[in-house]
Amino acid sequence: MNRWAALLAAGAVASASASTSGAAGPVPVGSPAVAGYQPVGVDEQGLWGEMAEAERALKVSKLLVRDEELTSYLRKVLCRVASADACQTVRILIVRDPQFNAGMTPNGMLLINSGLLLRVRSEAELAAILGHELSHFERRHSLARLKAARSATGWAAFLGAAGAGPLGLALIGNFFSFSQEQEREADLDGLKGMRAAGYRSRSAGDIWANLRAEMDATAAARNVRSRKDKRGMFDTHPATAERLAYLRSSTVDDPEGEAGEAAFRAAISPLWPMLIDDQVKLNDFGGSEYLLAGLATSGWTGPLLYARGELYRYRGQAGDFEKAAGFYREAIAKPDAPAGAWRGLGLALARTGDGAAAKASIDEYLKRNPQASDKAMLAMISGGSQ
Amino acid sequence: MAVPGLAQEKAAVKPGFSMPTGKPVRILVFRPDVKVGSQSAGGVVTPNAEWTANARKNLADALVAAKPGGASEVVFMTDLEGENATLLNEYRSLFKGVATTVLQHRLFKGDRLPTKVTGFEYTLGPGVAKLGELGGGDYGLFVVTNDAYGDSGRKALQIFGLLMAGATGFGGMVSSGVHAGYAGLIDLKTGDLVWLNADLKMGGDVREIDGASKRVSQLLEEFPGGTSGGVHFLPTTK
Amino acid sequence: MNKLLLGLAFAGLAAPPLSAKWKLLPETMPVAVAKSAMKVMPGQGWNSWSFRPGKKSELWSYDGPVLNQIEFIGGVVDGEPFAKERNKKDKPLPKFNSKMLPTDIAQAYEQTQRIVTRSPDFTIDSMEPVTFAAHPGVKFTFHFTRPDEELTRKGEARGAIIGGKLYMITYTAAALHYFDAHLAQAQAIMDSAKVD
Repeated sequence: MNRWAALLAAGAVASASASTSGAAGPVPVGSPAVAGYQPVGVDEQGLWGEMAEAERALKVSKLLVRDEELTSYLRKVLCRVASADACQTVRILIVRDPQFNAGMTPNGMLLINSGLLLRVRSEAELAAILGHELSHFERRHSLARLKAARSATGWAAFLGAAGAGPLGLALIGNFFSFSQEQEREADLDGLKGMRAAGYRSRSAGDIWANLRAEMDATAAARNVRSRKDKRGMFDTHPATAERLAYLRSSTVDDPEGEAGEAAFRAAISPLWPMLIDDQVKLNDFGGSEYLLAGLATSGWTGPLLYARGELYRYRGQAGDFEKAAGFYREAIAKPDAPAGAWRGLGLALARTGDGAAAKASIDEYLKRNPQASDKAMLAMISGGSQ
Repeated sequence: MAVPGLAQEKAAVKPGFSMPTGKPVRILVFRPDVKVGSQSAGGVVTPNAEWTANARKNLADALVAAKPGGASEVVFMTDLEGENATLLNEYRSLFKGVATTVLQHRLFKGDRLPTKVTGFEYTLGPGVAKLGELGGGDYGLFVVTNDAYGDSGRKALQIFGLLMAGATGFGGMVSSGVHAGYAGLIDLKTGDLVWLNADLKMGGDVREIDGASKRVSQLLEEFPGGTSGGVHFLPTTK
Repeated sequence: MNKLLLGLAFAGLAAPPLSAKWKLLPETMPVAVAKSAMKVMPGQGWNSWSFRPGKKSELWSYDGPVLNQIEFIGGVVDGEPFAKERNKKDKPLPKFNSKMLPTDIAQAYEQTQRIVTRSPDFTIDSMEPVTFAAHPGVKFTFHFTRPDEELTRKGEARGAIIGGKLYMITYTAAALHYFDAHLAQAQAIMDSAKVD
């Protein structure tokens, strides 16, 4: 799951032939996820030093989601699947990025994209991801990748690392992907942690089933072929289908376990408006529809109906404004309707040519949100709609 | 990426600028961006913590000893927290943007803006004065170095590359590691960039005390001197 | 040119050919922009890039595009995107429609920028009616941070639909110092816009 699961030194994008430097010296053993751990050997020390610098910059990044309550919730879940030591040493940072992704640096900094939090549906799924990332750290997968990269065989795999990382880390280091074997190993470690904590281990597979269905939905709305089984030339991750298959088969005999859907929703829902907004603005109609439907499994709320209205209004194809107006109206009928629903309704109606109704709705919005940053523009649209 | 025939100037000083004389001048150094690693045959850079730590210390010591431009004192910015850390981060990003702009669109003739043929009007803006207050300095110095020393495999590949270049016209592109750096000086009252110097092929082994001293002298090439002597600080050996 | 600069040098821009050059603009003579019917008066100090970021756009800069830039979008017709669509299949951009409301134009611009620059924090800070090229149009301000730079930029855009086509001018610059430094000049350019 981590395109950028680890980071390396600048310029580290290709490799050939065995290296001499860094190959000698002591080999680290045991888990690095213990308090006061000091990296061992040239390679590990190098990675940790580089990452400590990166972490300095990342911690003050403007693109982090700084939400103490949510972060401590993530930590709580991590600590259920991790050893007491790992629970204490791993740092969790939430990155504002609408794509599904998470990553672990070689020195124990766990990065979670906001887009992942939008897609995960239960605490058990979250536990699977956190346990998986922790495994990359505890098993020193990036160190192994660095060594592999310096050998001829690691060449192509390492090239897969090229590409921008989040948050300026691309300037500090390059991200690279783990091998298929490492991903699988981390997946299975994740399952172990889930079982020990009493989580529903089958949820690990659900993540991938969901992601595949979302990719289908995205593709269907765009009238293109789904990317769910597409693997890039340099992509070393197990294909989602393969991943889903082994996660399903390894958990088929497990007891049901705790899914923790309600707990997860309670922790994430304060962030939903931002997460949903970031998603809906990606011009991914099918994927967004799929995600909204997933969030609405226990009922369409005002904010969800509002988001759906926005989605249709943004697309603006034949019939979309009428449908959008319908969703806004449903939202307005709910007690938790956001003020934006009146704005959206007004703008949708203005596009359908229903000027009087558009004016009424925009005026209502401006009454509810007199400080709206676009009030002058809306007032003019409202006036012109009479 | 160098375009043959299109010259690159390495340094520039704001016209008319000289370091003030007759009063003590403090230069505030922002945490230098220092990277040292080894480079394998294929180009993979392995960061090296010990080399980086040594280089960081050696470069800092050499900067203090150098007293650029006749500065009375060279001090380092303390670690900041909270809003101040964010502010410094923002100015660091802006400096990178300004430095990039100067290198790409002012010093590099191939992509120079016609309005930037003469003069040197670049600034971080007067808001940077806050950093001067926080760190206590008249001028702010940003320093970036990036070194990767070729291991034996890399060196073998270099020779191979040279041979191939002769035979095919390709190859010869295997550089001898990475030894790049740049530095820029900011007037912490106005925010103006008064000097910038960059070089992709620097000398001086930053892992060693003497080497770091040589590197610092190269980083500080064409550093503006004081008016009294009009003397450029430090030698210009390459 | 130089590895140190890669990833920074072309921030916000398409990878240009090495032959791309900057040309000084005349101060007091109206110039046609984006190979369109739009003309503006450049004023002092602006450079035009020979590499056009999109088929219907043109880019100017005062100090260099990382620090400040003006983009002209001229004559976009129904069904066309607001910027060059690099990955039609996987990252399709919103398309222009001549029936768009002023708010829709700002919205589509935001979506386009979120996709193209991957800035997750793109925010429209204000929006108001404006006369653009003698037509009723929209003015909006915004800010965003690209994840590969951490350099927050601010912007102001003005545009209108004229004869069924979209004409727009956007000014974006580093939020610290640079945006304010050239805002008045950029606004003068926007004010001077004429579409024949």
